[in-house]
Amino acid sequence: MVRGDDPVRMKLRDPLVYIIILLLISLLVIPITRDPFYLYLSSLFMILSIFSLSYNILFGYAGLLSFGHALFYAAGAYSLALFTMNVLRDPFIGVLVALATSTILAIAVGALTLRHSKIYFAMLTLAFGMLLYALLIKWRSVTGGSDGIAGIPRSGFIVNIMDPVARYYFIYGAFALILILLYLFHRSRYGLLIRGLGVNEDFMPYTGHSVYRLRMIAFIISGSVAGVAGALYALLMGVITPDLAYWTTSAEPLVATLIGGSKFFAGPILGSLIFIVITTLVARIADIWQLMLGLILASLILGSRGGIAEVVERIWRAGRSSGLRV
Amino acid sequence: MDLSPILNQIITGLYRASIYWLIASGLTLIFGVLRVVNFAQATLLVLGGYMAFTFYAITGNFWISIPLSAISVGLIGLLSERLLLKPIYKVEATYQLLMTFAIALIINDLAKLTWGKLPVLVPLPDILKISVEIFGRSLILYVILIIVTGLAVYIAMALLINNTMWGLRVRATWRRPEIAESLRINTSTIYSSVFFLGCAISGMGGALMVAFSPVAPGLGDFLIVSAFIVTVIAGMGNLLGAYIASIIIGVSESLFTLYLPEIDLLLIYLIMAISLLLRPQGIFGER
Repeated sequence: MVRGDDPVRMKLRDPLVYIIILLLISLLVIPITRDPFYLYLSSLFMILSIFSLSYNILFGYAGLLSFGHALFYAAGAYSLALFTMNVLRDPFIGVLVALATSTILAIAVGALTLRHSKIYFAMLTLAFGMLLYALLIKWRSVTGGSDGIAGIPRSGFIVNIMDPVARYYFIYGAFALILILLYLFHRSRYGLLIRGLGVNEDFMPYTGHSVYRLRMIAFIISGSVAGVAGALYALLMGVITPDLAYWTTSAEPLVATLIGGSKFFAGPILGSLIFIVITTLVARIADIWQLMLGLILASLILGSRGGIAEVVERIWRAGRSSGLRV
Repeated sequence: MDLSPILNQIITGLYRASIYWLIASGLTLIFGVLRVVNFAQATLLVLGGYMAFTFYAITGNFWISIPLSAISVGLIGLLSERLLLKPIYKVEATYQLLMTFAIALIINDLAKLTWGKLPVLVPLPDILKISVEIFGRSLILYVILIIVTGLAVYIAMALLINNTMWGLRVRATWRRPEIAESLRINTSTIYSSVFFLGCAISGMGGALMVAFSPVAPGLGDFLIVSAFIVTVIAGMGNLLGAYIASIIIGVSESLFTLYLPEIDLLLIYLIMAISLLLRPQGIFGER
């Protein structure tokens, strides 16, 4: 494909970098408010963003619909908790352990599921996610069963994040680092190849690339980043339960990605913001956030499969073609 | 060795299997013909249970509530197919799956708003409360009735598809929709009627189940996983396979609960993983 012809690359040129920088700066100053609720919500937003960005590598880039991404999320959370409580008491090393665990898990699950058709893949990932759920519930002596694990340590010999603001900046640092790394991946040769899978999988073999291998790369990156998101969640909450592995947790990044726009790098971030707003604010008024999400999802699938980002882009283009300067 | 606890567990397992089958049958039929994985299938079964509760409250008759809820769940399915799925048949298959997922979310919350968060149960008529002695154990007649219904649904579906004119059209659409259309088969009507039937079967399943085990919000989220495991083991789009796989999963689940309660949940996934490694296309699936 000629460089200039690539619609994905064209769309994602420069404005994106400014938006990301703006986002990072505004998140940097949130602690000035000193309001623990905003700190908590922003942390939750960053964690869901990481989770959704990782999810989108599968869904938006490689075109694979997974219902089991919570597998890696929960594996990350539990491996951090178990490691820091039983082996070495340090949050930072705990996150690295979570990264390693979810990477190994991604290789194993990927080998079992990636050769199947997309529809099978969706159902298989659901079942494998639930396998971990069953394990977490049943293996009481290690995982604490349905009670989960409480009292996850937040201090260690490398970092101490007992203070909420320190915790916030720890999550912020991870978020910024992952955002930059994923953006570089997005722009890289393999990022482009994997996005090619999502555009047309059947053409891929003609370029001399193995579909399975590219899918595997996407799956491993996606799974390992999701593991980090889970570990950060465990650090934020201090308590984790097996519900993290239940398939409804997998639906969260999926819904966020669809709402934001799966064909845009920043789509999952935008979607996570909307998701957090809907689930926390609407849930305060009435317990109908599932209904809200369902309606939004249905109308986006019918009207704009590119999510809100595509709607914004369409309005932008319409404005420009009518001579309007925005 | 006393065999009666085993036999008892097998009967309970067959009851469970019938519930799975009444979801998996709709899932299989709809996937076979429409190539859509209906994520809302288990939610529709639960909705059938809720409907039966309301119809029972209105009519006071247990027997009437079953067909009424089957038809209304079928109609709700038909409506969502016409409005939400039909416009996106030409789009990639994953978006159809996602649409059924959205439908499941919407129905879930609407059911919660209508019937509340507490479990709902319909009282069983006295005739069906009679216990029958089987292998020295007493069993409620109703459990047997549900097991028989499961088998009857399989036979009825097989007859309908293999021996009627409508079934012939369905099979034609199943194989090659484009050629079926060129033979003046209205595939759009076939799609809708299949969707109606698939949803109505699950609706009936829910109406039957609610008299024995209560329905509650979130039950569908749980059942859909088992139904997916059944279809993965059977191979997509094979009715007989789905029926047999339902029985395998239902019975082994309740045997595991009795003998290996520590790991009963895990073993089901293990069965699935092994069957996938040995036969990736499913036990009865075609490549």
